[in-house]
Amino acid sequence: MREAESMLPGYCTLDHDGCVTCSDAGIPVRVVSVDGYDALCEDAAGNRAEIAVELVEPVGVGEVLLTHGGVAIGRVEAEA
Amino acid sequence: MKYVDEFRNGEIARAVAAGIASLTDPDRHYKIMEVCGGHTHTIYRHGIKDLLPDQVELVHGPGCPVCVLPMGRVDEGIEIAERPQVIFTCFGDMMRVPGSRGNLLEVKAEGADIRMVYSPLDALRIARENPDREVVFYAIGFETTAPSTALTLQRAKKEGIENFSVFCNHVTIVPPVRALLDSPDLRLDAFIGPGHVSTVIGCRPYEFMPEDYGKPCVVAGFEPLDLLQSILMLMRQLDEERCEVENQYGRVVLWEGNLQALKSLAEVFELRPYFEWRGLGFIAQSALKLSAAYADFDAELRYSTPGVRVADPKACQCGEVLKGVLKPPECKVFGTACTPERPLGALMVSSEGACAAYYNFGRKSFEKVEIGSR
Repeated sequence: MREAESMLPGYCTLDHDGCVTCSDAGIPVRVVSVDGYDALCEDAAGNRAEIAVELVEPVGVGEVLLTHGGVAIGRVEAEA
Repeated sequence: MKYVDEFRNGEIARAVAAGIASLTDPDRHYKIMEVCGGHTHTIYRHGIKDLLPDQVELVHGPGCPVCVLPMGRVDEGIEIAERPQVIFTCFGDMMRVPGSRGNLLEVKAEGADIRMVYSPLDALRIARENPDREVVFYAIGFETTAPSTALTLQRAKKEGIENFSVFCNHVTIVPPVRALLDSPDLRLDAFIGPGHVSTVIGCRPYEFMPEDYGKPCVVAGFEPLDLLQSILMLMRQLDEERCEVENQYGRVVLWEGNLQALKSLAEVFELRPYFEWRGLGFIAQSALKLSAAYADFDAELRYSTPGVRVADPKACQCGEVLKGVLKPPECKVFGTACTPERPLGALMVSSEGACAAYYNFGRKSFEKVEIGSR
């Protein structure tokens, strides 16, 4: 198995998300920096992408978000 | 790595599997449906089925939006894509879904300007960069994907981008599950609820399963141990004659869902009176269309799509597989006329489609069962 597939909380990373149309493709990423409604985020394999964060505001650097189709839809460890 | 080792630990998996076995009544047959295509993928990829007692059967549900899309909606997308002024954008898997006269990839090869995007926000960027063209995004997906379309439309409206529209095929998860529960040819004991849809909608929408139908539901994550633990939780409920919604995926899913995302969905979308699902027929209030406030961005209105209905190819048995009546290899064309390279039915297209998952990971165990059952 590729390192990139060994991801939480599913097997998806920014460069390997299975089927994005399928609603299971949630990609966990860590926030690197925030610029207004967009945040630069990094997955565990080191891939980086700009993610829209309006739907999970407010977000801070270091938080782990669940993203889908370039948009953050939740947080990991929501109940921690 | 955190979250990986503990959710893929073989020793724990065997212990959980033993727990499931200890709760299994040898004289009873259990049918548990995993609603989500991602769960189907995990089940085959990690051989979950082989860890379960013979009495526990996993049935694949309708949770792959590509797979449930009727051919007519593909044809209408192609008709829009062929217009010379249009830049047509869609997710990668959508490109290979067969319509009645080919797929978007073939239309692209013939010269249509069709571009694969990773996010609807990428489609909006293309619209910004091409003000003299009409950019259409083919929106598809359950409640996990719909927020990204909603947010994109909110940004488009705020920025006043007029050359952008959405061909909306978003669907909702609860009505098809209800339709399956009403179906007389399928007897199910319990449900594994979709993890990431629930990130958005929460767990409350599933309460009708125990309340109206007496079926337990556990919202599950996507690692192998998530699935096994969810099956164990369902078996416990059945053993103790409890019947409720439980959340196994608490590290991501909140009981009430993502309220900001739900607010965004409520502003941008409204429920269609009915929508056609491949294999399931027309289901009331099972899909989304753009609300009146966003009608200017509605590609169905902008291009006056006629709403055509196209029957599936006769040999294709996607409908029966979607309903869980047939296992993928029991379809007449599985692995012969229909393969991931040349899919005849949509279930073979997406990597989360039950047939593609079975083709890639599941055939060996099926053969074993077949040989053993003779």
